Amino acid sequence: MNENRKIRVLISKPGLDGHERGAMVVAYGLRDEGFEVIYTGLRQTPEQIVNAAIQEDVDVLGLSILSGAHLGLTRKVIDGLGAQQADDILVLLGGIIPEEDIPALKEMGVDEIFTAGTPIKDISDFIRSHLPRSPEQEPVIEKP
Amino acid sequence: MGRDGYIKKIETAARQWEEQVLGPRIKRFNLAESPTRFYSPLNVRNSDFLEKVGFPGEYPYTAGNSPFDFWKAFAADAAKTGYRPDWGGAGKVGKYGGFGTASDYRDYLLRMQSMGRKGGPNIAFDLATQCGYDSDSPYAEGEVGRVGVAIDSFRDFQVIYEAYTGDLDIDKVPSNYTINAPAAVIIAMYATLAKKRGIAIDRLQGTPQNDILKEFIARGTYIYPPRPSIRLFRDICVFCTHYLPRLNINSIGGYHIREAGATHIQDLAFSFANGIAYIEAGLAGGLDIDAFAPRITFNAFGGSMEMYKEIALQRAARRIWARILKERFGARDPRSMMIRQPITAHIGCSSTTLQRPLNNLARAVIGGIAAGMSGGIPGAFPPFDEPLGLGHSQEATQLQIDATRIMIYEAKVADVNDPWAGSYFMESLTDETEEAALAEMEKIENMGGAVAAIENGYMPRCVAKSAYEKQKLVEQLKEFIVGVNCFTSDNEIEVSVNRIVEATYDPERMKTAEDRQKKSLARLKRERNGTAVSTALKTLCVHARDDSYNLMPDIIECVENEATLQEISDVLRQVFGEAQPIKL
Repeated sequence: MNENRKIRVLISKPGLDGHERGAMVVAYGLRDEGFEVIYTGLRQTPEQIVNAAIQEDVDVLGLSILSGAHLGLTRKVIDGLGAQQADDILVLLGGIIPEEDIPALKEMGVDEIFTAGTPIKDISDFIRSHLPRSPEQEPVIEKP
Repeated sequence: MGRDGYIKKIETAARQWEEQVLGPRIKRFNLAESPTRFYSPLNVRNSDFLEKVGFPGEYPYTAGNSPFDFWKAFAADAAKTGYRPDWGGAGKVGKYGGFGTASDYRDYLLRMQSMGRKGGPNIAFDLATQCGYDSDSPYAEGEVGRVGVAIDSFRDFQVIYEAYTGDLDIDKVPSNYTINAPAAVIIAMYATLAKKRGIAIDRLQGTPQNDILKEFIARGTYIYPPRPSIRLFRDICVFCTHYLPRLNINSIGGYHIREAGATHIQDLAFSFANGIAYIEAGLAGGLDIDAFAPRITFNAFGGSMEMYKEIALQRAARRIWARILKERFGARDPRSMMIRQPITAHIGCSSTTLQRPLNNLARAVIGGIAAGMSGGIPGAFPPFDEPLGLGHSQEATQLQIDATRIMIYEAKVADVNDPWAGSYFMESLTDETEEAALAEMEKIENMGGAVAAIENGYMPRCVAKSAYEKQKLVEQLKEFIVGVNCFTSDNEIEVSVNRIVEATYDPERMKTAEDRQKKSLARLKRERNGTAVSTALKTLCVHARDDSYNLMPDIIECVENEATLQEISDVLRQVFGEAQPIKL
């Protein structure tokens, strides 16, 4: 990873859930923490999210789900990333996620789950300590 | 001594107090300013009681909508008979709910009724329905029947109402619908159901949420852009005023805007800006203000732990709305000027914490006290386990109801109307709240009103920014939340209680809901008269292009011919276009 390149984060709202407070707060917060943040807005299909993550060449994908549809939607996003050989993207999940679903989500490949009350700093620390994921394989990307 | 002399005397005393008492103390603790405030008559110099407060039930309703609420009249009887508000009663609004397919939800309702819980339907729709998609849409995948019941067509609607017959027929119990963008379709289904049952549609009662503008500011279940959405609102408003006069037209949600992060001032200003847009739409539809304004309702203002501000907000809200209706819109009927809301002050679900969740009971009680002191039922809301996201447990619900009862019967919180009337502090805070909200409303007015302030992104962005500002205050320890950013050391203990979440539905049934719903939708599409459907949809399409048409009769025609909710929505999408998500 290019040292000068800001870590790029895509924040997204999969499914039809319209609660976007958390997503927007995290987007603003990570931007202030020095990340390059893109917010997709509401109602994105897993395919749209995977495509956006690849097109925007992001390092981190943050999903926010408060509707209870997190297991199915997250699975589809992760499978989609895998199918496009983009599974090096760090996948984070926020929203209303019951405690008992967390093991299944981690098993699925979610790198971390951040529920209500999480300080932005915890999320940014997590991202910085987990990236770059495998530096030797990372291509150097020169941005104009 | 005259009024001037009296004020002069207080001014002198205030100066002396600041110099000799307050100042030295601030210095002693090495502070920049006092951590508390004190109010005296100097803070409410121009307060005219009759103009600003008035008696309860009299303009401008600062002291309340009525001398006493209906529930106060029955409070003692309710205690003697053991009435449980969460069960609902025949003729009353039932508990908010909905899941799975229409038959899943019908069976649940029948089960509840057999246990004595007989409130009218208060329906939560799944997200696909709320966003105008049928269960077989790719957008609906994984969402069918999840946060509410799936309604694809009139058939589904009819199945739910199989639980409401006889004493609970639709001319006897009210129906509440948490539906916004497709509100016209659901109201059309309600009217169609009445016709099929041989009930005059003017007997129908209830409340559709039908507050589309706030969906762009909070909650997010919009379909069409704001302007055509307002046209649909106009059509509903005019149609209901003429033909369903007992149905409330909408329920304006200050609460949702606050939950999305708005400050209390933004909550007031944005809700009223939306309210004004609805009133203007009704007037543009040719209605007399007093013919429909009494049936514009509010969901709830409120949503913070700051009880003084919440009390002032309720008082200011009533005064602002009353003045808007009377002075700006020339209303004459007092009912047009009143804010009718089922929930008043409360803490809002976003004030609850996942950390040490039992503390949320204490929090909810604070909200209940604020409600009881500002003209509402002193209700503890929500149950403490709200943020756990697993459904409210029986224990949490019991504690919530008992807390409410303790406030009513033991603490007698609501025995005095507007107990803060005349308080130097509260009158001054109410004035400040009113002034700030009016200033914010003027800003929106200058942009061209609520619709313009949504189109240019102003209101949604303000709310997102306020949410972030609040988060920063919490993270910078300028605002404290117990158990979240303070008092979190190892000396504190987790307090837990037993929690049994009532099995509202069979999880096995939920797993198959999407499949079953898609199958019944496929069957509908095979069985119905396709020609009749496409004729009805075509007529709707033609009339939608002409703003002078009221679309309700056409939508009813579509519903009667079993066009689906998405088919109707798609026709309107084609004509009106689709709203775009808000960018940062």
